[in-house]
Amino acid sequence: MNQATTTAPRRVERAGSFDPGPIFFIGAVVVLAILVIVPLAWLLWISIQVPDAGGVTVHNYVVAFTTSIYLRPIVNSLILAVSVATIAALLGTPLAWLISRTDMPGRKPLRALITAAFVTPSFLGAEAWILLAAPNSGWINRAITSFTHASHGPLNIFSLGGAIFVMALYNVPYTFTFVASGLELLPVELEDASSTLGGSAWRTMRSITLPLVMPAIIAGFIMSFLEAIAEFGTPAFLLIPARAQVVTTQLYLFFQFPVRTELAAAYAMPLLAVTLLLLMVQRRILGRRKYTMVGGKGGRRRLVALGAWRWPMLGFALLVPLCSVLLPYLALLATSLSRIWSAGPVPGNLTLYWYRWAIVDNPETRRAIWHSLEYGAIAATAATVIALLIAYTGNRKLFPGAQALGIVCMAPFVVPGIVLAIGIYAAYSHPPLLLYGTAAILIIAFTTRFLPIAYSNLNTMVAAINTDLENAARTLGATRIRTLRTITAPLLRRGLLASWLLVFIPAIRELSSAIFLFTPRTATMTTQIFDFSDAGNYEGVSTLAILILAITLVIVSVAYRFLGKDFMETKST
Amino acid sequence: MTTRGTFVRSAAAVGAGLAAGSPLSALAARKNQITDADVSKLYAAAKKEGKVVWWTGHYTQGAAEKIAASFKQKYPGIDVELLRQTGQVLFQRLTQDLKSNVHQVDVFASTDEAHMTILKKQNALAQFVPGDIDKIPKEYQHLDPDDTYQLGDIALMLINYNPKKLPAPRRWNDLLDGRMKDLLTVGHPGFSGYVGNWVVAMTDKFGWDNYFKPFAKNNPKIGRSVFDATTDIVSGERVLGPGADSLALERKAGGNAINVSFPEDDTILVTAPVTIMKEAPHPNAARLFMNYYYSKEYSTTAASTYNLPLRLDVPSPTGVRIDRMKTYHVKIDRLLTGIPEAIAKWRETFNV
Repeated sequence: MNQATTTAPRRVERAGSFDPGPIFFIGAVVVLAILVIVPLAWLLWISIQVPDAGGVTVHNYVVAFTTSIYLRPIVNSLILAVSVATIAALLGTPLAWLISRTDMPGRKPLRALITAAFVTPSFLGAEAWILLAAPNSGWINRAITSFTHASHGPLNIFSLGGAIFVMALYNVPYTFTFVASGLELLPVELEDASSTLGGSAWRTMRSITLPLVMPAIIAGFIMSFLEAIAEFGTPAFLLIPARAQVVTTQLYLFFQFPVRTELAAAYAMPLLAVTLLLLMVQRRILGRRKYTMVGGKGGRRRLVALGAWRWPMLGFALLVPLCSVLLPYLALLATSLSRIWSAGPVPGNLTLYWYRWAIVDNPETRRAIWHSLEYGAIAATAATVIALLIAYTGNRKLFPGAQALGIVCMAPFVVPGIVLAIGIYAAYSHPPLLLYGTAAILIIAFTTRFLPIAYSNLNTMVAAINTDLENAARTLGATRIRTLRTITAPLLRRGLLASWLLVFIPAIRELSSAIFLFTPRTATMTTQIFDFSDAGNYEGVSTLAILILAITLVIVSVAYRFLGKDFMETKST
Repeated sequence: MTTRGTFVRSAAAVGAGLAAGSPLSALAARKNQITDADVSKLYAAAKKEGKVVWWTGHYTQGAAEKIAASFKQKYPGIDVELLRQTGQVLFQRLTQDLKSNVHQVDVFASTDEAHMTILKKQNALAQFVPGDIDKIPKEYQHLDPDDTYQLGDIALMLINYNPKKLPAPRRWNDLLDGRMKDLLTVGHPGFSGYVGNWVVAMTDKFGWDNYFKPFAKNNPKIGRSVFDATTDIVSGERVLGPGADSLALERKAGGNAINVSFPEDDTILVTAPVTIMKEAPHPNAARLFMNYYYSKEYSTTAASTYNLPLRLDVPSPTGVRIDRMKTYHVKIDRLLTGIPEAIAKWRETFNV
């Protein structure tokens, strides 16, 4: 309308369509500050505070790191994380080779099972393994002692070894995914050259294949180490009876009465430091990997014939999914269908009572199921939108320093969930932004925790989009936001959906930060599981576990159908 | 009612302390005590509030759900938002809330009277006296002389054991016998108020070193909740341990190999308190609900879920009346310092 009154056509067009872009982008920056910067700043600030009195002190650090009762957990955590990462790498690497490079039978279902292990929260694995391998009552132990007549079974899940076993199982997928994609990129010519020159299969493996995928193995090791050192659920279930406190369970105790946030913040710092350090190491290693792969692509896939070893190898490859998926799922399913789980899976004990209880009769569990889905969906949407805006801003260099925002987006990656929760609690449990007790604080936690996944996923995709179409739209007068909405976003459809799912799936199984931030009114499925396990309600716990797993697996398999099998693998960035 | 006379006689010897302690509090009690007319007024106002938020460390999840359901049946239109957790965990969350000035709890039922004294000092509790207070054992009436909290539940710490594997243990010291090695299971005083009470009682009766050093030698399995002991015995993971009465009796009734034994050297009686938060978001529903604690319906539902009824006119699930048991009750003044000490010593002895 204004066009008629103005003389310069180019200016007219600008004035006529007000560009709301900057508001959106500034909004994204503000949200990013709320999500990432404020909690981390608070964490640091609280850790040097004199509680209640105010003022700055190093006392919290002194208490946290000179009291012997607090030092033991650090040692235990290190033992736990190193062992978990080592075992996971030792299992994941041959598994990756067998599945991606050999003619072993059953490769496809095995891959699906490993994905199932990937989406299974390890604390549910721990719960299942209590049913299977508690020293006296565990089903496996009982089966064994019924033959050996020993006083108790050979397995003891309530031990540091037990916790290492369970956590290693659920970390195998990291090494597996990294190494499998490494192997798929591996230049076959190099292996061919080795065998042409007379190298034995073993020699080729040792001097060509392994060195080339070593960076991927190390990356898998580091991921598993970080997961293990930050994990809360499994140690809480298995290591309290084992009488071994780790850093995360000790952090939980700091939140018992009297709540000592300042001590928790100080105590959490090494976790942050170790994570940061290892991710820097990983970055270097991954950087180098890309270098070695230059020119390596394009080789024809040829599978190694295992010959007589095909079936024994399948036996080996089945071990991990057997222990991480088949047995635990079976144990949880059987328990959830039992009136009284200790009676065992006998016919008279079969019931759907607990499902009715969880879904129909019990308003608390019903609400918790809904909360998990609701918070997960909101967090996934928020993280995807923010990641898109920031990735777009950075890639199109919309303003000076825009790329630095990407680094902020990635920052939560170095913060273990439990530490992030302490930061968020410290920042938002008092005015001006009192969010503790509301759903918002959980949504913030989930969004922040998994923002790096969405960002790293979308960032590569935005970078890959040719700007010609966007430029055309801009030339025709569309605003930035309109261009983003009508051109870029549709082009990114698949990436957006994948990002959404990659946030949604971990969000609905999140426990480490939810356990600090939920109140009964905002309980989720995972916090309910934690609460019921306290009262020995294994049937209820198993039922909720089966529900979580079912929901997750349905979503993942739908996603596979639409997005292809590799969408989970972007998670490895 | 018929049994009350006998009770008062036997209780009089033990019960000198709390109720009779302060005549002033008796006056205050009358002033705050609810009448039937008050109840219908409360109900009308509570209906407008729509619900009551009840955090309880008493009972198992299932029993607490039944009590909530019985309340809803008696007072339709008022929903009960229930959270059942261990006493320490609830208290930790409540203090976290109060620190952040968040008020979401109406009725808070803990397993540890010390929690109430701390909250009382913070002026976080409302005074209230249920109408039927004279129906519960006299020595536990007006647990707090100022009526900022009342008796919410009587729990017993006794010995849970598997009768297929062992004859009934008779004394607390039986748990220290070398033959009990690897057979014991127990909750954690840092998580459970009942376990905390038991640890303080054992310390007072026998001394820490005399009791817990040999106890530790027997390699008990340590869980979190007091109910973990029962769960472990039912599952066959362990054979005996100090545990509560209710879940064990419930599991026994379900056909499991578990029983309770009243130790000759005293069943540990835990007076678990209940209170209304001063800043309760649903103050009328809160009062109506706390008043319901001493109703016949409440006691009957509690007994049907294998918990000791508070009212003497409702028979107990074991058939043994509270006033006929040989009990030991750790008084609040001792618990206040005793429980934190117990948790610290526990961590020293058991590393967890």
